[in-house]
Amino acid sequence: MPRDSAASAPGRPGAGPGRASGRGAGNPRRGRFFTAALLSGGVQGSPVVRLFIRWVRRPLLPVMRLWRRNIQLRVVATTLLMSLGVVLLLGFVVIGQVRNGLLEAKVKASQSQATGGFAVARQSADETAAATHGSTGGNGTDGQQSQNVIQWMSDLVESLSSGGSGAFDVVTLPVGDDSGGGRSPRGSGYVSPAESVPASLRDRVNSSSSTAAAQSYTRIVYSNRKDSQPALVIGKQVNDPNGHPYELYYLFPLTQEEKSLSLVKGTLATAGLFVVVLLGAIAWLVVRQVVTPVRMAAGIAERLSAGRLQERMKVTGEDDIARLGEAFNKMAQNLQLKIQQLEDLSRMQRRFVSDVSHELRTPLTTVRMAADVIHEAREDFDPMTARSAELLADQLDRFESLLADLLEISRFDAGAAALEAEPIDLREVVRRVVGGAEPLAERKGSRIRVVGDLQPVVAEADARRVERVLRNLVVNAVEHGDGKDVVVKLASAGGAVAVAVRDYGVGLKPGEATRVFSRFWRADPARARTTGGTGLGLSIALEDARLHGGWLQAWGEPGGGSQFRLTLPRTADEPLRGSPIPLEPKDSRRNRGLDDGGTPRGGAEKLATVPVQQTGGNASALPPRQGAATPVADPTALPGNGNGNRVVPRPANRGRRPDDRTGAQVPDPRAGGGPEPAGQDSTEAGEAFRGR
Amino acid sequence: MVADREGGARRTPGRAVTYAVCGAVLLGGCASMPDSGDLRNVESTPRQDTGVRVFAVPPAEGASPSEIMQGFLEALTSDDPHYDTARKYLTAQAARAWQPERSATVLADGPGIMAETPPAGREPNTGRMYALAGDRVATVDDQQAYAPAHGDYRARVHLIQDPKSGQWRIDALPDGVVMGKSDFQRNYTSVDKYYFANHTRAGTTGDPVAVADPVFMRSKVDPMTQLVSSLLRGPTTWLGPVVRSSFPTGTALKDGTTGLTPDDENSLTVPLNAKAAHVGPARCTEMATQLLFTLRNLAPTLESVDLRGPGGDQLCDLTESRADSVAWHASAQSPDYLYYLDGKHRLTRLPASGTGTGGTPVPGAFGEGTKQLGAVAVSRDERTAAGVSADGRSLYVTPLAASVPLEPPVLTSQGPGADTRLSRPGWDARGDLWVADLNPARPQLYVVPQGTGKPVAVTLPELPGPIRDVRVAADGARVALVVAVKGDKQSLLIGRIEGGDSVSAESDAQSGNGDTPAEPPAVVDPRPAAPDMEQVTALSWAGDSRLVVVGREQGGVHQMRYVQVDGSALEGPAPAALSRVKAIAAAEDDRVPLVAYSEDGIVRLPSGAQWQKVDKDGTAPVYPG
Repeated sequence: MPRDSAASAPGRPGAGPGRASGRGAGNPRRGRFFTAALLSGGVQGSPVVRLFIRWVRRPLLPVMRLWRRNIQLRVVATTLLMSLGVVLLLGFVVIGQVRNGLLEAKVKASQSQATGGFAVARQSADETAAATHGSTGGNGTDGQQSQNVIQWMSDLVESLSSGGSGAFDVVTLPVGDDSGGGRSPRGSGYVSPAESVPASLRDRVNSSSSTAAAQSYTRIVYSNRKDSQPALVIGKQVNDPNGHPYELYYLFPLTQEEKSLSLVKGTLATAGLFVVVLLGAIAWLVVRQVVTPVRMAAGIAERLSAGRLQERMKVTGEDDIARLGEAFNKMAQNLQLKIQQLEDLSRMQRRFVSDVSHELRTPLTTVRMAADVIHEAREDFDPMTARSAELLADQLDRFESLLADLLEISRFDAGAAALEAEPIDLREVVRRVVGGAEPLAERKGSRIRVVGDLQPVVAEADARRVERVLRNLVVNAVEHGDGKDVVVKLASAGGAVAVAVRDYGVGLKPGEATRVFSRFWRADPARARTTGGTGLGLSIALEDARLHGGWLQAWGEPGGGSQFRLTLPRTADEPLRGSPIPLEPKDSRRNRGLDDGGTPRGGAEKLATVPVQQTGGNASALPPRQGAATPVADPTALPGNGNGNRVVPRPANRGRRPDDRTGAQVPDPRAGGGPEPAGQDSTEAGEAFRGR
Repeated sequence: MVADREGGARRTPGRAVTYAVCGAVLLGGCASMPDSGDLRNVESTPRQDTGVRVFAVPPAEGASPSEIMQGFLEALTSDDPHYDTARKYLTAQAARAWQPERSATVLADGPGIMAETPPAGREPNTGRMYALAGDRVATVDDQQAYAPAHGDYRARVHLIQDPKSGQWRIDALPDGVVMGKSDFQRNYTSVDKYYFANHTRAGTTGDPVAVADPVFMRSKVDPMTQLVSSLLRGPTTWLGPVVRSSFPTGTALKDGTTGLTPDDENSLTVPLNAKAAHVGPARCTEMATQLLFTLRNLAPTLESVDLRGPGGDQLCDLTESRADSVAWHASAQSPDYLYYLDGKHRLTRLPASGTGTGGTPVPGAFGEGTKQLGAVAVSRDERTAAGVSADGRSLYVTPLAASVPLEPPVLTSQGPGADTRLSRPGWDARGDLWVADLNPARPQLYVVPQGTGKPVAVTLPELPGPIRDVRVAADGARVALVVAVKGDKQSLLIGRIEGGDSVSAESDAQSGNGDTPAEPPAVVDPRPAAPDMEQVTALSWAGDSRLVVVGREQGGVHQMRYVQVDGSALEGPAPAALSRVKAIAAAEDDRVPLVAYSEDGIVRLPSGAQWQKVDKDGTAPVYPG
């Protein structure tokens, strides 16, 4: 089960076209990765890897599910991510600018300070040198001159550094590894000179042979356990009174700048946090305002589609969402109104048919009695009149049966038909029907064979209705059998029993297999109504089958005959899952693989069609009563003027659609075959196939 | 924005207005600097030290002898705790023998190095001889006592070349260190150690009286530990005879103690060795008092000391507030009044800490102006006053109480002129009155026990000239003398006062019997306190070991400045200049304003301000003492 959901879960994001914009370009690849890693990894990886992947995936599944289903979450998360990115970018830019600005100001001030300091140092050295020369009068050996340098150097550092306590520190270092004579490292304010001045700066100061000052950034190390801090260091080589060079450095701690920068940082971080939260909240609010009505509309639409037509959206305000709601409600209202009107109309029509049938009965009885009298006395009439009397009696019979059929079908339409099911042996029923049809068969010169009656075929059914259905089928087969044999086949398997009636007459043209069950449908509308049945027989038979929760299906091929199959559940109210007899018989031309008609279609196959046209392929699983409700809404089913043309178009429309045909094959997979190429079935046209 | 808010207000006016007001108040509160509230204590942060530090470097490979000399002298100015780097310039033998702590010689401009030809008899190549020369300013001995000095300094240093490594090293040199004056000022700091006067006890309470003993410490080398060790070792030689230490002999810091620093609550724990383990609680409290007084020089925020025995057990502890009740301490005494003689020769007093200028005459005989007085002194308990008549002939003592008649003079002088008779008198902590008879024929210093007893002549040492002025320190153990040297010149001397049997006699004779002491007190060992001063016209004690002096330096002008009793130069600014100062009064407590008598009458100098006039016609301003 998890494997299944894993297979579908990553697959679906790719299938949803609307999501690509929201999730960015990286997603399909990640989807593929998931599919590859999680799916195929499960197949080819070791069990440990599979377990690990499952373990990792399990907590993610609800999150991904939520992500897929919740547009609000997606929008808010995307907004948060994007605003976070913008805030971070902005923060970096602003902090960088502030840092540069602070540094620039600091560097300028520091440079001027340091330059002044260097000048003071040089001046002090010159003055001291001049004084020494003056006092000693040129008597100075090297040792003599250097007597003051140790103290002079300390004094110099002190005087330079006293200018800005805390603002900067002064450090002197010997050039290279020179030592003695005042060139020991000196530092003010606990600065450790050697560690604080970077070696690269010392190299620069020494290499450029005095004139230019150089600067660098460094970290001041203190000798009194104070934390080290970043600093700007500016250095220059200066001469002492003896003319020996030493390095003089000014160190400007960047503590204040660091504090300013961290203040800016803190401010930006706080502001950014608030902005992100604000944007997230705004997105949440906006999406909520949009999504909530959409969700409500979706719920209402679901309920509407479930048949609860009185459901309406709550509409507040006058905005776009409110307009959507209003339009939606108006649509639902119109829909309800129309459906109501149609229901009323169809109810009225059914009632009208029923009333008309009833009303016609009384005069018909009278007419019938009178006609019987005339009929009995026909021998006394002249031949013309006698012929008329016979004609009258015949047509009256037909009229009566038509009336009876109309009454019967209107009972079905009204849902008044009741099933009186009891266990019966279908062999008995078949025997009775075959017995009843023998005279007709003899007249037509055909023989009725019963196959599969060696064992009892028992089902819970209404014997009268089943007998009516079968009689209809057998009589139809005999009438259209062209004098060839009619085979009645019984079978029982699973939870179903079936009776198939096979003839070898003209058969059915493509598309007719569904249309034969239409009311008043005739294969050849031009044929007069004077012969044959009422045109309602198969419709009634279909309603009977449906009442049992069974199927009545037809198959036929032009010139290859046809087969009608009745499938009933063994016990009432048990849904059918299949039929013991294939709809397409084994001896069909396609199954035999030959074309004995010499027609151009080589592997001519006849599609199996489903007579349950109103409910579609899956409708067989539904209770019959629901199916019975549907034709009520069909105004074209009215048999009012007896014109079969009115019935034809609808099935014809449906039959033209190829997907409808393939769908029709679903209930019986064994009857399946490839879809037949259209337009090849016109050779056997002209042969009528109609109800009795 | 405004329209929006108005629209909102129209819909739900009350709530919107409330929100707007709340927001405005919040914004207003945050957007301006606070102008009230948030009362709290300020943590004391140590002042940042900008002093220059020299980082000694060991001798470079193959350095020349003169570079070795320079590097060695420079290393002496570094903060190296035990001169380890400097020792690297010495041969191993010399490094072992050299004792840098023995002394410090301060030269005016630092030591000059001069090559000397080695004495005959030595191979020229085996060594080099250098002479260190300079003008001596002062020396600090092994007890860290400072002594001004003058004259040439000359010391010889000998270098040899190490036969194995070929490096030049110093193999003979004088003990101690030598450095220039500014290096000395950078590296050393003056600190007062406190001991108790042998013979003086505070007159009112009988508490021991603390005497300051200034020493010089290396300020950057664990000064607190140095100071505690120095205190435990005992007073300097000069002061030693007149003071005692409460620490038992041999007391020292526990072995290996370094880096004493106050903890977060400004309390210092001092571990002592076994010698101090068995002192009684009273003695221990005195020891702690000495420590606390001493250490507060270095760490003014120190609030308590905690003495620990060798096992870490607490001997006693002492907080700063209690210390003042254990021992009498001049700089902790705050005088109530400033006294002076107003235009009508009345002794007038003025609250010392106030800013008012209207004095009120004191009760008693001096406040009535009946006697023309030239100089006055008020006892430290401010109950008794002594006055010298305007002609300087007689010394009167009278209580500062109403309707007490003036008694006959305690002392009279036979000097020929007004300025050669009695000097300005002074009171010490014990309550004794000191006065000098400036009679050139028979100059004499007298002490009047309790101001009313029989004057006792104080033995004076050989002085270079006649005494011109005298000021006894509050502790009664030291005296500042102004001595005429020759002609117009004077010099300031500080002597210690020995011979304290008078104290016990005095204590026994509290009833006022006035027994003659068995041995008179004597001023001993006077030493110069301001060697560069040529003329001293006025002086006053202004601290435990500090005087404020009006005088003239060699080749200088009359000015007012502070001097340290050991003769060292004081850091810190001199008082604001004032011309024609004839007399000056200062209290040991440096929070009390300095008062001077100048051509503008009596003026005073509150801290952080300029001179202010107090009384135009007043003369002879004094604080109690």
